[in-house]
Amino acid sequence: MTVTSTTSPHGASAPVRPKKPAPSPLLIGGLVLAAIFTWWAAREIEFTLGDLFTNFANGWVVIQQFLEPNWSFIWRVWDAWVETISISIVATCVGVLAGLVFAFMASRVTNRSGWLYRATKIFLSIVRSLPDIAYVLIFVALVGVGALAGILALIIFNIGIAAKLTAETIDAVEAGPIEAADAAGASTVGRSRWAVMPQILPNYLSYCLYIFELNIRSSVVIGIAGGGGIGQVLGVQFARFQYENVAAITVALFVVVLLIDQLSQFLRRRVV
Amino acid sequence: MTSPATASARSTTPRPPEPSKTKETLVWIGLLVLFGGAVVLSNARWSEISGIFTDGWRYLQLMAEGLFQNPFSEPYSEYWTLAFDRMLESVYMAWVGTLLGAVLSIPMGFLAARNVSGPVTVQVTRIVLNAIRAVPELVFAIILMLPIFGFGPVAGAIALGVGAIGTLGKLTAEALEGIDPGPVEAAKASGAGRFSILRWAYWSQVLPEVIAFWLYRFEINIRASAVLGVIGAGGIGSLLGQLFSRREWEQIGITLVVIIVVTILVDSISGGIRHHIISGSGQKVTTEEKVEATL
Repeated sequence: MTVTSTTSPHGASAPVRPKKPAPSPLLIGGLVLAAIFTWWAAREIEFTLGDLFTNFANGWVVIQQFLEPNWSFIWRVWDAWVETISISIVATCVGVLAGLVFAFMASRVTNRSGWLYRATKIFLSIVRSLPDIAYVLIFVALVGVGALAGILALIIFNIGIAAKLTAETIDAVEAGPIEAADAAGASTVGRSRWAVMPQILPNYLSYCLYIFELNIRSSVVIGIAGGGGIGQVLGVQFARFQYENVAAITVALFVVVLLIDQLSQFLRRRVV
Repeated sequence: MTSPATASARSTTPRPPEPSKTKETLVWIGLLVLFGGAVVLSNARWSEISGIFTDGWRYLQLMAEGLFQNPFSEPYSEYWTLAFDRMLESVYMAWVGTLLGAVLSIPMGFLAARNVSGPVTVQVTRIVLNAIRAVPELVFAIILMLPIFGFGPVAGAIALGVGAIGTLGKLTAEALEGIDPGPVEAAKASGAGRFSILRWAYWSQVLPEVIAFWLYRFEINIRASAVLGVIGAGGIGSLLGQLFSRREWEQIGITLVVIIVVTILVDSISGGIRHHIISGSGQKVTTEEKVEATL
């Protein structure tokens, strides 16, 4: 029956619709695993949205306080703002410079030593796996509460990001200049500086700006754990339940982040 | 005497003059001034930096002592299981939060894509997404956690979820704007309804990329959950906060190692899936770089 219909001229003009491909077992297995994991995770942390409806009134009181920010508070903590920006500048400068060295060590293109390459890779993935808050806590324990702990924590954090992003850029550079440098007998440092560095410079500068933005954003986290700056003020006001001050700082931080985003976008357009 | 000189001048072109370095020098001077100013204005007590070398060595020894004790003896076995339990709690919190944010970001992404929604809707949605992106998760946690959900991982998960809407919505919208218009035209030509077009022509095209975004966000949220823990959202962050305030260096060492191992493990599983999805979809790997730069 089907054979005749496909061979007839009528069947040739309207071909049979192809069969829908069967879903791959890998996909089904993955989805089932994800669903089980979701169910298990939700059960383990006793996830429920019920509180949202029963306790909403409690939240509303806080939100109302948030809606009446104490604007004058922003200017009263002027020093903390300067401190936050200074912390970010120092940490970005030191972090991206050290990160650049690590990036050259973490790419096969520029690092000709196999074991050093692998050691750097392992070291960097360990550095990146710890959350920023852990570094702040460590440095607060070592050098005491204050901006220095924040700067040191951010430097370590920045090295991890800068090295990873830059190393990936180095992996993708054009081989021509490197071959030329090798043919001229360049040293490891020389070929990195003159054959690779000019190629990655625009991307690298853009990462530097990105890291600076990131540092401003994470100033809240840094401060709450004792790393100085506006986050520390926020933590104190939060602990005192002065939500109108918290709200004012949040809004101001929003504006600062936005301004710095704009500034860095402007600079990025000029360098890239 | 003159003939060889002219011959050599003909064969070697004169070296071009070096471009001016004034601008470069000025930029360097400016950066140095900025850096110096920041060093002074940051109010950091730079003399304390010696603490790293004096205390740091002692604490490192204490941490190593905790690590090299028999992990099956008391109280070290307890330290290992506690750190592991809390770390898993953080992973669960990050997973549930990411999923919540992912589900909510789908409609936001469609509303913020210029080739799907009207210009007014797009503008309004983008403003909302940008506002969410600018507010740190910590603030969501403060608003949501204390009053509504109380201290615990649920509040943390919801704060992470709300925070994820901003970036995931933006990335989804950008992915939707970058699709191939061919399938959309084909679906329209065959008389598909509005929902069918969105589901089969738009969503199918961006799905691999969007799932890669979700997984990447999950990796980020594991780290972010530690931050929320310090202010009381449970998980590994709460444990870290307690341990550091009591200066229990032996237990801190064990906890940090657990964090490193679990994070690297989860990252490599999730990264493997991401690579598989993106390479299977035939898209360029550059999406990967885009995600890392945006999230």
